[in-house]
Amino acid sequence: MSRSRLLVLAAVTALTASACGGGTSGEEATAKPTELRLAIGGEPEDGFDPTLGWGRYGSPLFQSTLLTREPDLGVGLDLATAYEVSGDGLTWTVDLRTDAAFTDGEPVTPADVAYTFNTAARQGGLTDVTALDEAVAVDEDTVELRLDEPRSTFVDRLISLGIVPEHAHDDGYAREPVGSGPYRLVDWQQGQQLVVERNDDYYGDLPAFDRLVFAFTDEDATLAAARTGAVDVAALPSSLATGDIGGMRLETVTSIDNRGISFPTVPSGSRRSPAGRPVGNDVTADVAVRRAVNVAIDREALVEGVLEGFGSPATGPVDGAPWYEPDSAIEDADVDAAAALLEEAGWQDADGDGVREKDGTDAAFTLLYPAGDTLRQGLALSVVDMVAPAGVRIETEGVSWDEIDQRLHTDAVLFGWGSHDPTEMYNLYRSSMAGTESFNPGYYRDPVVDRHLDAAMAATDPDEAAEHWRAAQLDDDGHGFTAPADAAWAWLVNLEHTYYVDSCLDLGEPRIEPHGHGWPLTAGIASWRWDC
Amino acid sequence: MGLLSRDRGRLRTAGLRAVRLVSLLVAVAAGCFALMAGSPVDPVEAYVGADTAAIGSEQRAQIEERWGLDEPPLERFGVWAGHVVTGDLGTSQVFGQPVTEVIADRFAASLSLLALAWLLSGVLGFTLGLLAGATRGRLLDRVLTWWAYTLASAPTFWVGLLLLYVFSVSLQWTPVCCAAPLGTLPGEVSLLDRVHHLVLPALTLSVVGISPVLLHTRQATLEVLASDHVAFARAQGERLPGLLLHRVARNAAGPALMLQFASVGELLGGSVLAEQVFTYPGLGEATTTAALRQDVPLLLGIALTTALVVFVGNALGDLAHRVAVPRTREVAA
Repeated sequence: MSRSRLLVLAAVTALTASACGGGTSGEEATAKPTELRLAIGGEPEDGFDPTLGWGRYGSPLFQSTLLTREPDLGVGLDLATAYEVSGDGLTWTVDLRTDAAFTDGEPVTPADVAYTFNTAARQGGLTDVTALDEAVAVDEDTVELRLDEPRSTFVDRLISLGIVPEHAHDDGYAREPVGSGPYRLVDWQQGQQLVVERNDDYYGDLPAFDRLVFAFTDEDATLAAARTGAVDVAALPSSLATGDIGGMRLETVTSIDNRGISFPTVPSGSRRSPAGRPVGNDVTADVAVRRAVNVAIDREALVEGVLEGFGSPATGPVDGAPWYEPDSAIEDADVDAAAALLEEAGWQDADGDGVREKDGTDAAFTLLYPAGDTLRQGLALSVVDMVAPAGVRIETEGVSWDEIDQRLHTDAVLFGWGSHDPTEMYNLYRSSMAGTESFNPGYYRDPVVDRHLDAAMAATDPDEAAEHWRAAQLDDDGHGFTAPADAAWAWLVNLEHTYYVDSCLDLGEPRIEPHGHGWPLTAGIASWRWDC
Repeated sequence: MGLLSRDRGRLRTAGLRAVRLVSLLVAVAAGCFALMAGSPVDPVEAYVGADTAAIGSEQRAQIEERWGLDEPPLERFGVWAGHVVTGDLGTSQVFGQPVTEVIADRFAASLSLLALAWLLSGVLGFTLGLLAGATRGRLLDRVLTWWAYTLASAPTFWVGLLLLYVFSVSLQWTPVCCAAPLGTLPGEVSLLDRVHHLVLPALTLSVVGISPVLLHTRQATLEVLASDHVAFARAQGERLPGLLLHRVARNAAGPALMLQFASVGELLGGSVLAEQVFTYPGLGEATTTAALRQDVPLLLGIALTTALVVFVGNALGDLAHRVAVPRTREVAA
């Protein structure tokens, strides 16, 4: 019985072996392949409609956007030839190129742009365009975006929102998208694969590859596919990126996908959150404790020990972005300095149990992390050992997100963030955001920081905004939310994303990636080249 | 006269079954909805996922509105139930498609996988069970029994991963994923391709069903072999292969058939894991997504569909058992 089963297997294999060789086998290496196969995840369950959030990471592929994100996270032009923000920050005027067309032959008009923004503003999807009051096409190549309030970060919507054709945007659009992007959809077998081919009428630089196949495999199958040469690019978590795979190289991409500890910054018992949850922690409310933890942590050791080298020490929530303040970096791994900070603030170990106390309160608090996240567990346990010599006791608890939601105002939490959009920084530190979703969980409040954040939002040009964003981290007077000043959080590490890439494939200049691994890699897909 | 009353009896049985089916479906729907309404998972939070920093409160309210989550749960259930009666299962939150469409697509993909796995486990389990029973206590029996216990205690996804690494990665005999070769369009896929991609997932899935069928068949075989009519046949000089074929197989088939049809539910459950490992886009994969993301309409639709399938499986099992083992005919009615 089992012998005949093996025979069938062998016969099937022999017959299909030739078909499964793929484009990367030895005999074909001389000719440049026209098809790329990628296993980088990122399948949108609800399809390819930008007004519902498709394309917010990386490239929307089928549609094109008004602006683009440059590799250094600066802003570049795409469908727009120029844009201008009015002095009050409320009106964004965008000039459009006139040579762009959708794949059904119709031109891309300001009416389509206005329709896209107005629709996205009303739709309950994964792109937040609620700041928009209305979008209006003013003439044949200009569109005006009118906002409810000044918001410099609205530029991110111009970068991420793919323009859809008003005449073809119906119920079936998400499954059969029509756009003006570099590729057009050929076939989508949901849960398995997406096949796209180059749009030869694309107005920009044509990509080098005729056809792309995205396989939506999970981690184990992705690794298996990479090992058998079935794919040219495979996104894998760094824990699986061990060992060599023949014909592929391991490429690491810097990201602002970070991990850090939020501290409650107000004393306990003072108030309750809008959802009725208790707020405050008497130990972490002392800035000396927060600074001491920041100083005592050895971030290099976390990178080497927990991330196995695939990462970098984090000094703030936006390391490497144009709005990052380099002066906010501190000297860490210094237990003596941490001890001195605590000593000065009156935390002393009088009873000799290794934990300092002040006014009868032990310098001890609980650090929560989501159970099942082994990376955060590793970080949390390492931090405990790093701060213990300074006389601070941290107890870790792995709990569900649901429980974290109940306790995030009273206990320290190991969060992960990281976005190309500085709105995140605003949400994490603006005092008015405390108690909303998981934003500003520690009820951090500093009027100077609030002013800087508001000024950054109201700025009308990216450079001016970046200046205010930097000041919010640390300004010239020493105010700020980062470790040298209020130390509202203890940022730990930035992750590196790891990809196995065919040795012949050149991915160009990789971009700093946001929280989210895989699909963001496609942001530069038009510049990918075959090098053999 | 006698015929008529028999027909009436059948009609009554069928009516009873229909009532039972309807009440089962109602109970399943209400139970599932209650469980999900009480679940701590917030569907909006699950949908937003890693984008939580970029999606503000106003946008979240829009999402709730799009899915109708701003209504109280009981009202939502009422509206949903009202639509179900007219054959409309609602729209999946995750996939943005009508639930009936999602289920039909996925079920079609799962069907060949389930059917192959079901046949494989039934035929293999029954044959090996007969062999084990016939060779009781000898090496073959011990090996088969040991193997059955091992399979019974092996998790499906683990077996799947093992097969994946042996046959797809090391030997490269089978593909690593999907229901068709990467990069081929639906029209280009040959039957052979489909079978090639089906073999490993089906093998993995059949593991779920083999052990119980094998062990029960073995037990039934032992009992039948020890019975008087077999002793009589032996005395008449019938040898083992003939005995198995003519005397044992039919009598031992009863429990095997019952189990086989009753195992449809377990098979559906196992397909969740097998499809996950092999990126096979069937109903199992959709179930995982719906559950993790709190897609209430889709999950309810899937629960109703699977309840129906399991019910039909059990009913067929009863029927097959009665046809195969005529003794039970009178008792069951």
